[in-house]
Amino acid sequence: MRDALLLAAAVLAATAGMGWLALAMDVHWEQVRGADPLAPSTARLLRALGALGLAASLALCLAVDHASMASLVWVMALAAAALAVAFTLTWRPRWLGPLVAWRGLARSVK
Amino acid sequence: MFQNFRLAMTWLHTWFGLALGFVLMVVFFFGALSVFDREIDRWAIPQSRFAPQPMPSFDKVLRPVFESMQPTKESIERMKDKVDGPMPERFDTVRRWGAYTTHRDPVLGLFAGYVVPNAKDPEDGVWGNRTIDPRTGAALPDDRLKVGSRFFYPLHYSLNFHWKNLGTWIVGFAALMMLVALASGVVMHRKIFREFFTFRPRKTTQRSALDLHNMTGVVALPFHFFFAFTGLVIFAGIYFPVSHTQLEPLHELHEKIEAQETGLPHDRAGVAAPLASVDAMVAEAQRRWAAQGMAGEVGFLALQHVGDANGYVSIYRAGTDRIALVGNGIHFKASTGELLREDPPKSAVDGVNEFLTGLHLQHFRHWLLRWFYVLGGLAGCVCIATGFLFFVEKRKKQHARAGSQGARVVDALAVTTVTGMLIAALGILIANRLLPEALPAGWPPRGDLEQYAFWGAWVLAMAHAFWRSAPVAQGRMAPAWREQCWAIATMAVAAVLLNWVTTGDHLLKTLGAGYWPVAGVDLFILTGAALAVVAARKLGRRARVVPAVRIAEAAHA
Repeated sequence: MRDALLLAAAVLAATAGMGWLALAMDVHWEQVRGADPLAPSTARLLRALGALGLAASLALCLAVDHASMASLVWVMALAAAALAVAFTLTWRPRWLGPLVAWRGLARSVK
Repeated sequence: MFQNFRLAMTWLHTWFGLALGFVLMVVFFFGALSVFDREIDRWAIPQSRFAPQPMPSFDKVLRPVFESMQPTKESIERMKDKVDGPMPERFDTVRRWGAYTTHRDPVLGLFAGYVVPNAKDPEDGVWGNRTIDPRTGAALPDDRLKVGSRFFYPLHYSLNFHWKNLGTWIVGFAALMMLVALASGVVMHRKIFREFFTFRPRKTTQRSALDLHNMTGVVALPFHFFFAFTGLVIFAGIYFPVSHTQLEPLHELHEKIEAQETGLPHDRAGVAAPLASVDAMVAEAQRRWAAQGMAGEVGFLALQHVGDANGYVSIYRAGTDRIALVGNGIHFKASTGELLREDPPKSAVDGVNEFLTGLHLQHFRHWLLRWFYVLGGLAGCVCIATGFLFFVEKRKKQHARAGSQGARVVDALAVTTVTGMLIAALGILIANRLLPEALPAGWPPRGDLEQYAFWGAWVLAMAHAFWRSAPVAQGRMAPAWREQCWAIATMAVAAVLLNWVTTGDHLLKTLGAGYWPVAGVDLFILTGAALAVVAARKLGRRARVVPAVRIAEAAHA
């Protein structure tokens, strides 16, 4: 049970990390935040958060399995997370809003 | 020949991708299914629907079964030309008995190898195998096809085309070319990071197909690369058979030296000897693993030179918590149970090799990683399928104007390999449930009929694909895609219903009992049905919209 929870957390961390990395890009930021402009400092912060998310995911994988297995789980979790983020951006971009909750509600979304 | 490197790479990627994409599609899809081969076996053989079992007692259960085994007819047939003089009626000199199980196997597969007297090459032999219920030792009917592990799995690496190993060679070449396609794809892709998360389904079919092609290719790039590469490593022995061709004498010498080093006899002594209790040896092996902090179950049990004074018993730990297949081998003298050898820790090279092969063959216990592998495999399928679509979309208008059939032929082949393959896979599952338990005398074995259903369904799908692809030659979409999606949805629901009718195991029951092998296969098939319905409806809508647009365009003109 503990392992399952840790792995779920690892997948979540990877997804959040990929989400932040996507938000650091102008196109995707606009899909999620509409007219709210993306400042360079925010983009840097988002990239740092993204890297942190992916690193946290690796740490969680290592806490569950032998390193040889954990590395595979992590690489595949990254792929799954990237697909999940990409499809969310395609069909439900607003769902990524909570990743930048500190900016408040988007002022306008086209 | 090409203006620049990128154009050369584009040419390579397009044409090798097209030619080998048909093979790679099969490799990816049945590879993804093979992740759950044991579970598909449970679905296909209702008699084996019970919980996974540990390795049973050798002395009580396995020994009498092994002693009653004989080589298969096919194996004896193959050996006929390789002996001086006639073949014996019975084979009593056992070279090797083996039993292999994993944490997902309720039934146990046994194999036995026999020495053939007067064989031209004394190393040659004949083989027998049997599948038993490890709780009782009772044999399971041997005409039941293990659809997962004996049909889908070999299809994945050999296309089930065994003549001169040609299928394995084709798959190996395709894997090599896939590495080339991955590298050239990365070179061609101008916006690999900028479009990492980009999929725009509302743009043209050509654009959205390319989006999806790039995304599934790039996101799962480590998976694609490692699986193509490790697949080649696993079959390196077939692709570079140096040890049995050019280096045969060296290979023999190596085996003899290895036998000296390990103390495990390479040859029989020729002196009969009894067999001590193997159960006691297993207990000792498990005690030793536990003492090293690696308590575990037996994964592989083998007896070499059975009944001979040089006989020995090898016991390997099941590698459920490691990537490597089985390991920590401990070897005992068969006649006394005396410890002969404990395998030392692996050298770095062996460790890497075992990691690479284990990574691909995945006999470990990790359900999340297994599902991630399925995801990776299916992402590969989407990548190849959208590659076909892009190829056709890019050319079909041009071909229509030139009156060429090129795009149409490629589209029909794409339908055959994408939806047709799913129809074939469902065909074998439906045949598996529809064929009677006992066939009338004179019929081919049940497992053979199931395979005919697979290939028959595929041929029909191909005929349909070519018949219903004519609009492509006029620059429109083939109705074959939509119609085959409906066929998939219908057949998928039929397969699940047939499983219920013929075995009584409906989803409420299997889910309620938590019997995931059968519930999982049923749910997977139903998910496929739902996706097929969504795809068919979307295609239908698009087919209705396109002519309307065309009429509007004509009105404006």
